[in-house]
Amino acid sequence: MGADPRLAMVVRAYRVLAYVTGTVLIILCFVGIPLQVFAGNLIIVRYVGTAHGILYICYVIVAFVMTRMVRMKVASPGTVIVLLAGTVPVLTFIVERWVTRTYINRALAASANSPAPSPAVRR
Amino acid sequence: MTDAPATPHWRILLTPRWLGWHLFAAAAVAGMGWLGDWQFRRAMAGNTLSWAYTFEWPIFAIFGIVFWVKTIRDELHPADGAKTSEVVLPAAARPADGTGADPDSVQVGQTAELAWNGSPTDPAAIDGRGGSAADGQEERELAEYNAYLAKLSREVKGHGRWHGLR
Repeated sequence: MGADPRLAMVVRAYRVLAYVTGTVLIILCFVGIPLQVFAGNLIIVRYVGTAHGILYICYVIVAFVMTRMVRMKVASPGTVIVLLAGTVPVLTFIVERWVTRTYINRALAASANSPAPSPAVRR
Repeated sequence: MTDAPATPHWRILLTPRWLGWHLFAAAAVAGMGWLGDWQFRRAMAGNTLSWAYTFEWPIFAIFGIVFWVKTIRDELHPADGAKTSEVVLPAAARPADGTGADPDSVQVGQTAELAWNGSPTDPAAIDGRGGSAADGQEERELAEYNAYLAKLSREVKGHGRWHGLR
């Protein structure tokens, strides 16, 4: 039996947004801001900054749904780090790998085994 | 898990620590609202980039409220939405001194795949029909093995997670 399609879809959306948001943020921080500071060129900051803002809102919502589906506790450092990762350059890539290892793989495996995880002994 | 106390569970939200978190949540939401207002004033003053942030901060504030509500709901109903199954252990596998949180059962949620994913080697050893000495020995070994798995399950259950704002 395959994994829960809803979970798989949310996980995919989370990964896409994590990578897109992370890439856009890297461009913003390592290209846009130096251009603004040293060359007074606002063009990248203006467009990429706005794009990151909108992407980050989507990221937060999708990432939050993902943390709920893989049963991370709401007010836990893990969840907070996942949500804030979209604002720290490079962090989304690292966090995505960590969440996959720690929660997503397990949740996908559990959903593939559902509905009844069968214990050996039941009296 | 143990049976929930009959006393109002929400009282935990009035502990000093929780009151501090409520205050923090309220301050954070108010702060985000203020930032939105600040960006709105900047946008009105001609900074076009601020228009995006004018809408972003209120959205973050709303998200903060959602987060806060979910946190409280998680605290009051820890197993919210979690599909858990009870695994009842044979008597020999229960903690003899009753120190376990719940001696009669072990909650197996997402760690289910860790503990068991098949049937034991000999079903006759479980339902106790076998009366020979060999079966007794087998049953004892199985019980010990189950106790070991239950111990592992208990240990792993809390691994990698943080148990709320207690």
